[in-house]
Amino acid sequence: MVDTVSPLEPVLNRGRFANTAAQTGVVISEPAPGSIVQLAAWPDTDQKVREAIASVLKLNLDNSPGAGAVSGHRAAFNIAPRRYLLAEEDEGLAERLLSIVPADVGSVTDLSHGRTAIRIDGEKSEWILAKFFAVDFSLARFPVGQGVSTSHHDIFTQIQRRSETTFDLYVFRSFARSFWRSLCHASEETGYEIR
Amino acid sequence: MTSTRISMGGRIDRSRVINFTFDGKRFAGHPGDTLASALLANGVSLFGRSFKYHRPRGVLSAGVDEPNALVTIVRDAVREPNLPATTVEIYDGLIAESQNRYPSLQFDVGAVNQLASRFLGAGFYYKTFMGPKIWPLKGTRFWMFCEHFIRRAAGLGTAGLEPDRSRYERMNAFCDVLVVGSGPAGLSAAKAAADQGANVIMADIDARFGGSANWSEETIDGAPASEWASAIVQQLATMPNVRLLSRTSVWGYYDSNTLAALERVSDHKTRPSFGEPRHRHWTIRAGHVVLATGAFERPMVFTGNDLPGVMLASAGQRYANEFGVLIGRRVALFTNNDTAYGAALALKRAGATIAAIIDVRKTVSDTARSAAAECYAELITGYAVQTTEGSKQLDGVRIQQFDGQRTTERERLVEADCLLVSGGWSPAIHLASQAGAHPIWNEDLQAFLPPPPTDKWVGAGAFNGTFDTATAIDEGLSAGRTASGNTKPRKTKSSVVEGYKCQPNPAPVFEIKGKGKAFVDFQHDVTADDVRLAHTEGFTSVEHLKRYTTLGMATDQGKTSNVPGMAIMAETIGKPIPEVGSTRFRPPFAPVSVGALAAERFGDLKPERLTPMHDWHIDHGATMYGAGLWYRPMIYGLKGETVEQAYVREARAVRSGVGIVDVSTLGKIAVQGPDAAEFLDRVYTNMFSTLPVNKARYGMMLREDGFVMDDGTTWRLGETEFLMTTTTANAGKVMQHLEYFLDVVWPDLKVHVTSVTDQWAGAAVAGPRSRAVLEACVSGTAVDNAALPFMGIVHGEIAGVKVMICRLSFSGELAYEVYCGANSGTHVWEALIEAGKPHGITPYGLEALGTLRIEKGHVTGAEIDGRTTAHDLHLDWLLSKKKPFIGSAMMNREGLQAEDRLQLVGIIPLDNLPINGGAHIVEELHESHPSDSIGHVTAMCYSPALGKYIALALVKAGKSRRGSRAFVSDPLRKRFGPVEIVSHHFFDPEGSRLHG
Repeated sequence: MVDTVSPLEPVLNRGRFANTAAQTGVVISEPAPGSIVQLAAWPDTDQKVREAIASVLKLNLDNSPGAGAVSGHRAAFNIAPRRYLLAEEDEGLAERLLSIVPADVGSVTDLSHGRTAIRIDGEKSEWILAKFFAVDFSLARFPVGQGVSTSHHDIFTQIQRRSETTFDLYVFRSFARSFWRSLCHASEETGYEIR
Repeated sequence: MTSTRISMGGRIDRSRVINFTFDGKRFAGHPGDTLASALLANGVSLFGRSFKYHRPRGVLSAGVDEPNALVTIVRDAVREPNLPATTVEIYDGLIAESQNRYPSLQFDVGAVNQLASRFLGAGFYYKTFMGPKIWPLKGTRFWMFCEHFIRRAAGLGTAGLEPDRSRYERMNAFCDVLVVGSGPAGLSAAKAAADQGANVIMADIDARFGGSANWSEETIDGAPASEWASAIVQQLATMPNVRLLSRTSVWGYYDSNTLAALERVSDHKTRPSFGEPRHRHWTIRAGHVVLATGAFERPMVFTGNDLPGVMLASAGQRYANEFGVLIGRRVALFTNNDTAYGAALALKRAGATIAAIIDVRKTVSDTARSAAAECYAELITGYAVQTTEGSKQLDGVRIQQFDGQRTTERERLVEADCLLVSGGWSPAIHLASQAGAHPIWNEDLQAFLPPPPTDKWVGAGAFNGTFDTATAIDEGLSAGRTASGNTKPRKTKSSVVEGYKCQPNPAPVFEIKGKGKAFVDFQHDVTADDVRLAHTEGFTSVEHLKRYTTLGMATDQGKTSNVPGMAIMAETIGKPIPEVGSTRFRPPFAPVSVGALAAERFGDLKPERLTPMHDWHIDHGATMYGAGLWYRPMIYGLKGETVEQAYVREARAVRSGVGIVDVSTLGKIAVQGPDAAEFLDRVYTNMFSTLPVNKARYGMMLREDGFVMDDGTTWRLGETEFLMTTTTANAGKVMQHLEYFLDVVWPDLKVHVTSVTDQWAGAAVAGPRSRAVLEACVSGTAVDNAALPFMGIVHGEIAGVKVMICRLSFSGELAYEVYCGANSGTHVWEALIEAGKPHGITPYGLEALGTLRIEKGHVTGAEIDGRTTAHDLHLDWLLSKKKPFIGSAMMNREGLQAEDRLQLVGIIPLDNLPINGGAHIVEELHESHPSDSIGHVTAMCYSPALGKYIALALVKAGKSRRGSRAFVSDPLRKRFGPVEIVSHHFFDPEGSRLHG
């Protein structure tokens, strides 16, 4: 088995931290999906690309900005016009997509190593994210499945809501450790658990 | 003033005692007290000394408008000056100090300024420090001489030198309706909007919601106003669509209904809880805004109006009813309107004797007359306070008959230890003004009112000039409904409000002229005479007046002084106030901590960007170097090695054996799509559509203006797929460049570009033994010259990991770049190190990398500096003549072809001493008077291959100067010496080594 190293490895210290007098406001973890893939369509092939997503991941997306869906360990959401970020527990998603998405339909870009997924879950997750991003994370405006591309200072982040209290954040691998530290620091106020 | 705590009443928690110190003396207060109320309760009347004249000052107001009682709070040795005592909540252990006094507040030597006060009027500095026309302190020299002393004397509090360790945070919030202010109007608006289902944020600058209801004596719907307010606050607190922000000053109103607010999260606590910030800065994007910010009572301008014991009438009422503090035992009132009579009633009920009510009006309303009678006060109409009596606190006031313009001889003394004044009310229209609303003068209220809203805000209550509580509540309810989108008429009944009701309209009297100093702006010691002096000296515009006198420019931003100042100026000019005009309010409404504006960026001012092998580098002794956001190994120094010794050793190892360097930071962009090759032909100066699959090519791109933008290799991985590499520094810029052309210029091209910099870990294995290293660890592909020629690409495995290998060289040696998935980067790196051990593989850092490239004459960002062309860098061989490309139309402009342009050359210091980047190249050496520069050094190193120091430089007509001599001139670092200008190809110019 080949050793793969998460950029978070030195900082992923499991336990409860910071304001333990308060209830643990959020749980922070690294879901480490086996595949993270960008699938992008041409102006006239968006529908075909979304059909490909439905075919491979069994997730149906509409064509509204940020539209997304989650099911189990599978997730997909719109990150830019005609661009989608897909994540799955298993490796090899890019290859499977390449087999059904020819170049004249869209492009498949494997980002499994290039992006690091960070999950924040808990009652205070919206509160913590509001410290970073100028995005309205209220459930009414940012429902389950919805995604957004945004940034915190210099760190580009793609965010998807997985449940009422759970968000997955995809950041560039090289920034992941720095962002993780910032996230933990911001969560000190509410107390946090690394799981 | 003999203020004291009332035995009952107030919204303070008398069951708990809080101990604090003021100027080193211990005092006690209760939760709910401000520093001002607690000190007043302890009989303190002297709070500070004034800005310029060091006059004794007490408390004028009870809120954010306070201009006098400014203190310094000391916490953990950090000093925060100029905080109004009226807004500082006390906590156990609070340390407060008075300001602008020496050696003590009671005895301040600075008070000697009062003796020279006639010379210290407006414009004193401008006029006095012009400087004489004769030597030695001619002109500005005199100012520079005096500046030292002036700066020591200027200002109020003194900031400390200790770093502020407090935590500050920024928050983003979104809401349908933001309600600013939580008095009866604001509460009603918030409740109405929330009942409509809107997401509501209600912010109030005070700790306790309720605004004037907290000190009002009215009943609303049968309940005391404070209880009515508490009940609504409790309802709002339980509503999931409502966020309540107390201690929050909404200080800025910006475009698109974006508002800035400062929440003082833990200033009122002895210690913040773990992780809790001191201040939280909110950026609130609101669908609609309800401005229910109330109004500020104005003082009157008369001689000695700054003496401790003179206070705004509403403040006296607030101290009594909200804080349980009686601000004087024998109280006089001086007013031009009926609202002050309500304060008299409150003070009477709190136990004070109302000595007299002095009203400038000859006749007053029956309501006012009844109120005066109810509090057994002598009602003296048609009189005005001429001057105050007392040195450090009020003993009484001298009053004279007043005819609306001036006082007459008939004078009498009214003994009092406190004078409450009311000069009318100014609605707090600051936020509306910031939003662009031009205020409208209201003759009845003698105040500026907001115009009808032109943006998505609506006003309610005293903000609108509505001082009747029932009407304010109605306005709040309507505003809340309107803001939440409900335009149907309201069906609910109006609230029933009982209590003292009056017309707030004042007589148009702002100043009682007399001898002595009558202050308009208390905080900046601006007097009525200063305003007149400004006019005399030609400052007839309100904007000029403001700047010349500094009226309204202190930390209180003229909340109590702007309107009186304008009124006095209008009278002086002989124009009505609205013709004089008003200044536009600017953010912030109240002071904002710099910490909150900066907030925090944990660890450093910028995030760290780490390569997949970062931890390996650290573990193996690398000295890391910040390159943009990236951290890269500079050297892997051995014990006792200097930087130069280390990089020379590393570079020598590459030339003689094999080295390995982390190149993961190189920008990598996936260029995909049916038109990818065509796109690259347009982007690069050379052709890429002819590049076979599994081959790479060096390319250069220009900006549209014809200058070189970036260079790098691009690899063709498939018919429709390329991997473009860029310089580390320009990765983002190139990405934006590509996206711009795809989105805007060539939207018809089917091309996607995606940053894959982080997808790949990259290691460059360089040196004569590099192929041997790969042969020892690569499986699945051959790496010999046939299988992997120069610029060839193969796919294989190293230690079970899929890798992509391209044979290319930045060092000039036989070299390969090995790419793998970033998460496997360390695994592959270690496998390469292991395979290289028999060959003495040496990890090398940026310094050695730079040395190797300087020896080869390769360019980087130091030479591609945005001002150089392909010709300048001798890269014109990359300019295709078969196709157009970005920049091709502009690259041959006359100026870019000039003979004397800076061109890339090599430099050899003839004294064989190091020279620095940035050093100038000159034709003649004059150390004391450097001659004109003909160029500058861009990079230098000690070359182990050549055994001497070498450098690259950009020199005018550099190519034609090869073989000639010049000089290096670096006056800042005192480095001068002869150099020889040579070709930039120092080492292996034929490239025989890289071809193996």
